[in-house]
Amino acid sequence: MESRHGSSAAWSLSCSTDPKGPSLDLVINPLVLYSACGLGALGVALALPRRNSRVPQIFGALLAMLAGGLVLLGLGLKAGSLPGQGDMPQVYFYIFSILALGAALRVVTHPRPVYAALYFVMTVLATAGLFLILSAEFMAFALIIVYAGAILITYLFVIMLATQAPTEDLENALAEYDLEAKEPVLATAAGFVLLAVLTTMMFRGAGELPKPPADRTGEVLLAEMPRKIDAALRAAGTLPEGAAVVVDASGKAAVDLAARSVQVRGASGETSTVALPADLSVTNVEMVGFNLLRDHPGSIEIAGVILLMAMLGAVVLSRRQVQMDEDAKERHAKSLAAEVAQGVETNP
Amino acid sequence: MTTLASLGAVVADPWFPLQTLAQAGFPAPMGPITLSHYLFISAAMFAIGLLGFLTRRNLIIMFLCTELMFQAAGIALVAFSRFHLDMTGQSFVIFIVTVAAAEAAMALALVVLLFRKRESLDAQEWTELKG
Repeated sequence: MESRHGSSAAWSLSCSTDPKGPSLDLVINPLVLYSACGLGALGVALALPRRNSRVPQIFGALLAMLAGGLVLLGLGLKAGSLPGQGDMPQVYFYIFSILALGAALRVVTHPRPVYAALYFVMTVLATAGLFLILSAEFMAFALIIVYAGAILITYLFVIMLATQAPTEDLENALAEYDLEAKEPVLATAAGFVLLAVLTTMMFRGAGELPKPPADRTGEVLLAEMPRKIDAALRAAGTLPEGAAVVVDASGKAAVDLAARSVQVRGASGETSTVALPADLSVTNVEMVGFNLLRDHPGSIEIAGVILLMAMLGAVVLSRRQVQMDEDAKERHAKSLAAEVAQGVETNP
Repeated sequence: MTTLASLGAVVADPWFPLQTLAQAGFPAPMGPITLSHYLFISAAMFAIGLLGFLTRRNLIIMFLCTELMFQAAGIALVAFSRFHLDMTGQSFVIFIVTVAAAEAAMALALVVLLFRKRESLDAQEWTELKG
């Protein structure tokens, strides 16, 4: 794609040229990063579901959020020395990232599956917000529609299908396996060691995001869309009567991007140059669409096959008649008997 | 000197809520949001998803945690797409969402099957599968 090469000057990467390897120090103070990882691990380990008390859970969640904030602060302090300020709305980044990470933590720690699924919806919404800040509008809304709208509804249905009917006692409403985490310390250690390794490997230099004015790389696609230019010129009223945008044999419009002008042919066949309207730009949906359908047409076919296979698999799996295991049957019978006995006790 | 310049830029930034603090000489000029910020969010979300997958015993929550990890990968891809001004990253997220949907359908069908067999969603009910 042309935009890839055209934009190479637009982005700046102040990467270390040190032959010994990437320098973490450029991005964040390593001490801050690793101590925050340790703090976060401690917090998450405390926040995992536990049987007796909720106080350490709340404390642990606060500790984990503090650790996340510490890393963001460390990143921000180092980025403060970067030349030039980004003019993206920074506050929204902090709001959405705190929402996303907090809700993700709650997905992992909430003992009730329904609430975990609803917190996951919140993570999806916050992620969509982050995508909007990254000017990926199409992906933001596709994420909300597909994830929050479709996948999570499936999850909620399965949660409803696959939970025992709650009894009157509140404590008993929670299943045994939701109350307690397995191997909390080892798993948290594994997760946060992974986080430390990932961040160490990824933070290879302060990569400043290109600013929105530089982000007009999709404009090369304008030549592919003569009808869009035509409509924009008509709307702006700069197209002469009976004229049309000049289109070459391959269907490309004769656009001069440097001068922001386009050639039009009048009714009597003479060509003239008309300036493009200032607000004419290529939207994110158009850019993603061109990339998807022109550069990766085979992948779409494969994605279709994957979806078809998943649908067939789900149908085949759920149509099968299953017999309950012997010991499960026994347990079921026992619990029914206990319920009946309890009922006899309470209303004689 | 750079600190002073960025302090001025912070004050000029209308979105920054700590304006008054900065004017009062608060020594924390927060820089622009860089690629690293997004990569950190992505890595942290992935780590949370991973440890959720390892610690929780409920099969449904375990699969919810894999969805969290998919999300994290999506954030990293979109951030890189913005950084390189290349739409391929965003196209990849479409495929991630596709695979996530396929995975959810299959995994949930399996979960329903397993639940019907044992009347329990506990992953440790199935320890005899480890061979």
